[in-house]
Amino acid sequence: MTTASLHALLILSDSALPLGSFAFSSGLESFLAHNKQRHTNSHARLTAFDAFVEQSISNIASTALPYVLTAYDDPTQLEDLDNDFDASTPCTVARRASVSQGRALLGIWERALSTSAASTAPSQNAAKECTAFALAYKSAKPDAFGLQLNGHFPPLFGAACSALGLSAEDTAYLFLLNHAKALLSAAVRASVMGPYQSQAMLASSKLQACIRACIERERGARADDAAVTVPAMDLWMGRHELLYSRIFNS
Amino acid sequence: MSNPFLTPPAKPGHGIIHLALLPPSTPRLRTASYQYPLKLVSPSPTRLEDETRCLVHTIYILTYGGGLVAGDSIDLTVTLEHTTRLILLTQGSTKLFKSPSRELVSKQRITVNLAPESALCYLSDPVQPFEHSCFEQSQIYNVTVPSFSAEHTASLCVLDWVSSGRPANGENWSFRHYGSRNEIYLCFPDGKHRLLLRDNIMLDDQHLEGSITDRMHGLAVFGTLVLYGPLCKALGQFFVDEFKALPRLGGRKWDSGSESGDEEADAAMIKRFARHRQGTIDGVLWSAVPLRGCVVVKFGAPTLEGARRWVRDMLLHEGSVVKNFGERALLCLR
Repeated sequence: MTTASLHALLILSDSALPLGSFAFSSGLESFLAHNKQRHTNSHARLTAFDAFVEQSISNIASTALPYVLTAYDDPTQLEDLDNDFDASTPCTVARRASVSQGRALLGIWERALSTSAASTAPSQNAAKECTAFALAYKSAKPDAFGLQLNGHFPPLFGAACSALGLSAEDTAYLFLLNHAKALLSAAVRASVMGPYQSQAMLASSKLQACIRACIERERGARADDAAVTVPAMDLWMGRHELLYSRIFNS
Repeated sequence: MSNPFLTPPAKPGHGIIHLALLPPSTPRLRTASYQYPLKLVSPSPTRLEDETRCLVHTIYILTYGGGLVAGDSIDLTVTLEHTTRLILLTQGSTKLFKSPSRELVSKQRITVNLAPESALCYLSDPVQPFEHSCFEQSQIYNVTVPSFSAEHTASLCVLDWVSSGRPANGENWSFRHYGSRNEIYLCFPDGKHRLLLRDNIMLDDQHLEGSITDRMHGLAVFGTLVLYGPLCKALGQFFVDEFKALPRLGGRKWDSGSESGDEEADAAMIKRFARHRQGTIDGVLWSAVPLRGCVVVKFGAPTLEGARRWVRDMLLHEGSVVKNFGERALLCLR
């Protein structure tokens, strides 16, 4: 790994990157609320959370990672991928989370990162497509069917990583690790576990193995093949709206 | 001129349904051909009671043995001409028998081409995958749009659900592989296609360390109901409104007890409360999402009967499925 791509990797994995990921629990809050009777003590809750993390990573890998990697490989498809991801996400809460982070990424790209694109031809090309997408997004109007550019996060993330010169392997790992970090941070704030426990889980070889297995599984998957692998996740996410009180946006 | 005789498609498992329109307004089943192991049965069409007096055709999709043996492949193409209406039904759940290896996958593909103002109602029985089965199905709906506007498009009311297998035999999501894909494409006059909606579910026993049972969180059935088009607009809105009116989780139940306001609640509210109660007893978890002109309802329940009852009650109460397609449309939900 070159120092330049390491630099970009560290920036994109930093929790100080203003994407607002901390506002989302990816269905965790709803999952806990739905299963309150089942998880009577903190140990039961922790065990359930352990399984939840793995399922959530698996599900995000199968639904979003193909979009990340397709956009990484061919950023000229950004607009089509945005449409298809929008069509494939039938969950209000998940859409909200994806669009809000995607918009934040577009903002960061325009204001901060666009001048730091790597010098190779694919990176320059990806940078051009990101900027073009950001421009098109600003003037986007819904057509006769109410469809428009939405700015979903996964394809934009793939294109931005390509522009900053990350490898495809690192991009996939980073995408899933960021998801895991957001989940674990949400778990701390939802008082499932303490901060040390959360870091221990983040550092564990189990989590690493899970991320690697998911990347291996999705290797070569086309965006058309993206599928939900944990259907209950859609229910937890979708029913987040029904919570009487909530601390997260998803 | 079209051939008046049936010319069966050559390949096994292939079938063609073509619902044509005789001018000015008589729909006629021009083709219903099939090859083993697929069988199509078409009872005589029914006429709607309402002012449209619309003729609605019905076709049962059957397979020999009531399901698919490992390696079976079904490929059905349905064409609906302008303003025609079709009900597709199954006779009992589609059983998926066990497969000797992961490589031998049973497949079912249904492609529906819908002309403007036509309508399809496909409320099937659930798919029932047995232990060690491998199955993939896809339902592709090509909606032709008359011009670049969203008016006068076709309508769709389709249900895709899967159960945990045979609980009596101890099966609980014990299959090897199950995949189901539902896609709606808009086909524009200039020949371009655009993906409007995709719902793709893939359950594989090797995807995660835990079993599929762990992933299903105690659900015995999981399903997706997709609603699109002018005929299903009211129904979609009904689901969205009902979802918003569900009691909040973790909130106080202020409606328990007999407060003075109860008597003033209208009949619709009383029915809604009754449904909520039944839904809670049956443990039905569901959500309704309006997106891109469609409404997608996802639901899961710990028992098949609970889920069936919930879907039927919702559709019956809203009433537009029966109004637009006749009572036959709900046969599989009885």
